[in-house]
Amino acid sequence: MINLDKSAEHDEQKSVFHKKLKLKLKEKGEEGRIMFLKDYLDYLIRNNKTIPPDFPAFVREIMGLDDRAGSIHIKIWHDESELVEFAINRNYKYRVDHYD
Amino acid sequence: MTDNGFLVGEALVGEEPEIAHIDLIIGSKKGAMGQAFANSLAQPRRGHTPILAVVRPNLPVKPATLIVPKVTIRNLEDAEKTFGPAQSAVAKAVADAVEEGIIPKEEVEDMAIIVSVFIHPRGKDYQRIYRYNYGATKLAIRRAIEKFPDIDKVLEEKDKAIHAMVGFRINNLKKPPYLEVAFDIPDWRRVEGVIRALPRTDAIIIEAGTPLIKRYGVEVVQKIHQLRPESVVVADLKTLDTGNLEARMAGDATADVIGFSGLAPLKTMEKFIEECKKVGALSLMDTLNVPDPVEVLKKLKEKPDIVELHRAIDVERMEEAQWGNIGEIKKICNNKVLVAVAGGIRVDKVEDALKAGADILVVGRAITAAKDVTGAARAFLQKMGIEEVDQFRVMTDF
Repeated sequence: MINLDKSAEHDEQKSVFHKKLKLKLKEKGEEGRIMFLKDYLDYLIRNNKTIPPDFPAFVREIMGLDDRAGSIHIKIWHDESELVEFAINRNYKYRVDHYD
Repeated sequence: MTDNGFLVGEALVGEEPEIAHIDLIIGSKKGAMGQAFANSLAQPRRGHTPILAVVRPNLPVKPATLIVPKVTIRNLEDAEKTFGPAQSAVAKAVADAVEEGIIPKEEVEDMAIIVSVFIHPRGKDYQRIYRYNYGATKLAIRRAIEKFPDIDKVLEEKDKAIHAMVGFRINNLKKPPYLEVAFDIPDWRRVEGVIRALPRTDAIIIEAGTPLIKRYGVEVVQKIHQLRPESVVVADLKTLDTGNLEARMAGDATADVIGFSGLAPLKTMEKFIEECKKVGALSLMDTLNVPDPVEVLKKLKEKPDIVELHRAIDVERMEEAQWGNIGEIKKICNNKVLVAVAGGIRVDKVEDALKAGADILVVGRAITAAKDVTGAARAFLQKMGIEEVDQFRVMTDF
């Protein structure tokens, strides 16, 4: 796991307020986003996880995101979100920013 | 000991991959047991060849014991494990059971045993295979002789136990009150975040609300179950037509409770309830906008498992809580129904709702929109007098 932000520790009480998953793509641009989506789907299938119900909307969201210095910013609602599990499992550089 | 019948024993001992699972029958050679023994020995099946248990070559154990491999023996390596350590362990366990008086010595010539043995193809350690199969066989014999478990034990444990290889159990909602957290937020990632923040207790039911299902389809239930396999998940379909079809769809998506509208035609409701029984789910009648739920229930030949007294989100702010006559509803359903109350339930209403006879309190935004979801849910649980218990308790009752 490569967590860029060591300060993002949270206490046991789990507040649910939106957070931002800043994830460094393995390749820049549209190709990088497609590779990320393929990788995510591959992770779900190989780990026998049900495809998230918002997957079609998620694909549109990812393909429409701005690429900020090779990173994309995805809104999540929990530090242990499946997307974070995926980032850890597939060795993506990531950081979770809190707004609460 | 058994006249001409037989006794049945079972035991699971050890750790994977050498874990031993023994099923056995023990009984008189004169009855069905003897017939099964002879048939099994005379008609071996490929990969499941039965063999006599022997203490050492040329010394079969008494009572005569036939070992039947559960897993297909594909090669010499599999055969060595079954016919080596497992076979030897079973024979030793039977002999020790006689020596220890578990099996009466004077009856050994009249009896026979069939032992079904499980050896995992990945099991390699002969020490562990021997020890686990010895322990499991002896335990299964003792259990068979003692007729373990008695039916009261089965009835007591059936709603508590978690199968070791399943990891979750079906909760039939036998111990109210319950807190049902209703998700009407049509945003999956937010729903995921809130579900992960909920305390893990049997007392919490998760409801896939109608807007969530309309946005993502009833498959969302399956994804919720992936996050919380142990939780009861309600698919709030509010079905008005095609009762059996919609109930089946939700059942296929692993819903534990499936909701229909009390405004639906009687035929639709009855088909819905019937289909819920077929798919092993509980049926829930939502009374939103139903002028007299008691009258509807009277007309239904088959009653739902849950009746939800429901005020609409659009009107709940204008009206004070009115839950109707819960006692009357329970009476109509021969007290075999749970009553849920929904709409504007806050912590300060919990006591009133429970006093009125509610079994399930349905809470939406008071928890799902709270900044501290965990704390909000705990406040409800505390007010309901529910202690959070470890639902993953491991059964060590051997």
